[in-house]
Amino acid sequence: MMYNNEHFEPVITKFVNEAGSETIDFYINKENGYKALEKALKMKPAEVVDEVKKSNLRGRGGAGFPTGMKWSFMPANPVDANGNPKPKYLVCNADEGEPGTFKDRLIMTKTPHKMIEGMIIGGHAIGSNKGFVYIRGEFHKEIRLMQKAIDDAYARGFLGKNILGSDFHFDLVIYKGAGAYICGEETALLNSLEGKRGEPRLKPPFPAQVGAFGMPSCVNNVETFAAVPYIISEGAEKYAKMGTERAGGTRLIGVSGHVNKPGVYEFPMNLSINEIIEIAGGVKGGKLKAVIPGGASAPMLRADECDVKTDYESLAKAGTMAGSGGIIVMNDTVNIVEATYTLLKFYEHESCGQCSQCREGSHWLARMFKRILDGGGTQDDLDYVAKICGNMAGQTICAFADAVTGPALSSVKKFRNEFEELIRNGGLHGNKKQVNVNEGVHV
Amino acid sequence: MSNNVHEIIKPKEDLNYSSEKKPIHSDSSVEAKPLPKVTIDGKTYEFKPGDTIMQVAERYKVHEEIPRFCYHPAMPIAGTCRMCTVEVEKAPKLMTSCSTPAADGMIVHTKSEKVLKSRTGVMDFLLTNHPLDCPVCDKAGECELQDYNFEYGPSHSNFKEEKRVYEDATTKKLSDQVTLNMNRCVHCERCVRFTDDVTKTNDLVMVNRGWHKELDVADERGLFNDYQGCLTDFCPVGALTWNDFRFKKRSWFLDKKASVCDRCSKGCNIEVHSDRDVVYRYIPVYNELVNGHWMCDEGRSSYNDLMDPQRIISPLLNHNNSMTSTSLETVIGEVKKVLKTAASIQVVVGTDATREEAALLKEKSTLAFGKPVTINFYNGHIQTSQEDKKLDHMLRMTDKTPNTRGVEETGLAPLPNGELSSEVAIIFRNGRAGIPKMNPHQKVILWGVWNIEEVKNLPTNNIIAVIPGLATIEKEGSFKNTDGVVQKFHPAIQHRGGAVTVHHVVGLMTNNN
Repeated sequence: MMYNNEHFEPVITKFVNEAGSETIDFYINKENGYKALEKALKMKPAEVVDEVKKSNLRGRGGAGFPTGMKWSFMPANPVDANGNPKPKYLVCNADEGEPGTFKDRLIMTKTPHKMIEGMIIGGHAIGSNKGFVYIRGEFHKEIRLMQKAIDDAYARGFLGKNILGSDFHFDLVIYKGAGAYICGEETALLNSLEGKRGEPRLKPPFPAQVGAFGMPSCVNNVETFAAVPYIISEGAEKYAKMGTERAGGTRLIGVSGHVNKPGVYEFPMNLSINEIIEIAGGVKGGKLKAVIPGGASAPMLRADECDVKTDYESLAKAGTMAGSGGIIVMNDTVNIVEATYTLLKFYEHESCGQCSQCREGSHWLARMFKRILDGGGTQDDLDYVAKICGNMAGQTICAFADAVTGPALSSVKKFRNEFEELIRNGGLHGNKKQVNVNEGVHV
Repeated sequence: MSNNVHEIIKPKEDLNYSSEKKPIHSDSSVEAKPLPKVTIDGKTYEFKPGDTIMQVAERYKVHEEIPRFCYHPAMPIAGTCRMCTVEVEKAPKLMTSCSTPAADGMIVHTKSEKVLKSRTGVMDFLLTNHPLDCPVCDKAGECELQDYNFEYGPSHSNFKEEKRVYEDATTKKLSDQVTLNMNRCVHCERCVRFTDDVTKTNDLVMVNRGWHKELDVADERGLFNDYQGCLTDFCPVGALTWNDFRFKKRSWFLDKKASVCDRCSKGCNIEVHSDRDVVYRYIPVYNELVNGHWMCDEGRSSYNDLMDPQRIISPLLNHNNSMTSTSLETVIGEVKKVLKTAASIQVVVGTDATREEAALLKEKSTLAFGKPVTINFYNGHIQTSQEDKKLDHMLRMTDKTPNTRGVEETGLAPLPNGELSSEVAIIFRNGRAGIPKMNPHQKVILWGVWNIEEVKNLPTNNIIAVIPGLATIEKEGSFKNTDGVVQKFHPAIQHRGGAVTVHHVVGLMTNNN
């Protein structure tokens, strides 16, 4: 078999190429849709959580936290200070904003009911009667399709009161984001959901204790929810077998950049990056130069390091991360300094500005890379990048600062010669500019 | 030595007016269990369960304070400046001491190499876009950024890029009292949390994101809360400055003496900042019993009345219907003559007199003025302390005088109808109490803190004399505030005019009788 894995079968993308796959009729008739829900509602919540735990499903949003574990952290019967029961909320993180990642929008446009079914099962498992789908504000089409899917699910009785004749109620509403990348971080998302500034919260308390509107909440990625119906209907073992020892199932990988067939693919986790590039039609327009393996925040890999497998552990061992499953392929026409600057400009723009290191550091790095591109760079700058990154990483409330240092540090470390060449030649266009330090940037 | 001696014992709770923060001493139940212990820099301390590392360190004043920008004891914890990070053994990362709860057996290092390196890093970042305009900044000398940079900062910066300039917010008036210089801001957001959680007016917000993040007012009203001065106190840098103090004085020239604000019945504890006996500002001093950390703008600006050139600081005598400056002895002599022939005399004590002054006047009036006198107190804002009400959830009161309860305690009765009735009236007040009603023929002797305008506007033509008195910050005494707290104070500045103590005047009046 092409994927070198006899257990593998597509969990999410099996029917996405067929017309009308987003409709509820297609999902029910062709994909046995909402059968898993029926089964799950007959199980006890704890059994559902156990099943998900056994499946080794890990969060697909980027951090890779075991989903079953996350669900089991939810308090069983939370009460407020006066002893009144508190509601629990289930939140779907559909704020897909990581550059290079575009897998969740495929689920939302092609098979939204899978995710909805997963959310209802999740609601049953953690004892929540209210779910929010936090969708990135720019996803107009996805929002429209999701709304349609939710309305259809309500019409068929999969959402609302007494779902499928049980005593379980579940409501699902869409909340549109306002365009901040940081709102993909779960606590910033919760703040945004509450109508506050999208800024990550201090942890502890974790969302399982104090989440949306002060209530215990659980936040999962779209792809995570979409995998749940399969786990329930086909069994956790089958799902777990497809993956590695510590991470079950398949992964959606968005391959973009210089490949002949860019797009979203569903892969088992035992493929190497080179194999994935092969399946995606090979490198376009030149030789492979570098790969960013897990969305823009993952440190980049040189061409000679791309033999690494794409499961969580192998990538971590290679000094990068599986992240949110966006592989960006760059061929040898790419100037790494320029590419990294593009990413840093993004981070400079998207830092929420709470923590000192991240707010000032992301700005500093972006300006420094710009200066190097413009011909004002020095050798000292390259050494100083490591120092700035060292002062940023691991020092802030959320992982954004670490994400900034991913491309910045790895580019200098792995492609130092390109930086040095730019510095020698006086910038990208070879005209050494005098950088005026005293002139302020007006904002 | 503290100048504020409290005569009653402080209750064990923390009045900080913050909605979220629980009182520090909240455990009323008697616990048999031993308190948990935390080790900070090699010394072990007991702590109350629920304390953060910062609170333990604060309570025991662990050598120097843990540096902080965003932390403020009376506000919710933000944990964003990352300056207060400490090393906790067995924790993989540095922890912010402001937000990490202390745990039994925890071992904390506040000055380890890793911690110092992190602080240097934070300073390096904060200074990249800071204009470093300390020579023209009012905060210089009392600036946390300056102090911490001296202690932890890198000796030089490798930042070669262009500095961020907020063009529209370099000198931006947020209100008549407060000016913002956004370039100096370190984005600690204490100010935003203050308006959100302490004053609950929500008049400040942060707009934009990341390095564009900018402080702004929420709507067209601008900054409108009544405690704006506090923003300029706790702003760790010179971003928010008090207009009244801008460019007036370098902070290191200021003499700092404790006193009590006499602008209302709350009696906020203040520090009088003066140079050569000219007052430049008041700032609040923390007192959990009275004012927490704050004071209102009305009180904060009240020194202007004392420094007003219109304040009468020389004895005045009515000479051919014109008030003429003369010696105190001459004035006293004339006053005695008038009193001797007067059919009836009344003394009105303003409720801004100290307890000692009121008691002295009550006791010695008859002796001093040579014949029986009626003596009453007059407030001018309310009748008696029973009517005193809070104006908001924080400090401001309806009674705009500081010692109504103290004066009442001496046994004086309020002036009936607030109206003078005797042939000659001696009105003693310190600039805060109201002026009683009088008819155009009323003979009055004015005593205490008076302003030329007030005297000019009196409805009577028979002002016999003005005897200048000392203002609160110029004298010694005590007030009893609206909550019954008695606060003593000592002179914060030396009076430079001709005003004398009540004791002195009473002495002069009594002598030759």
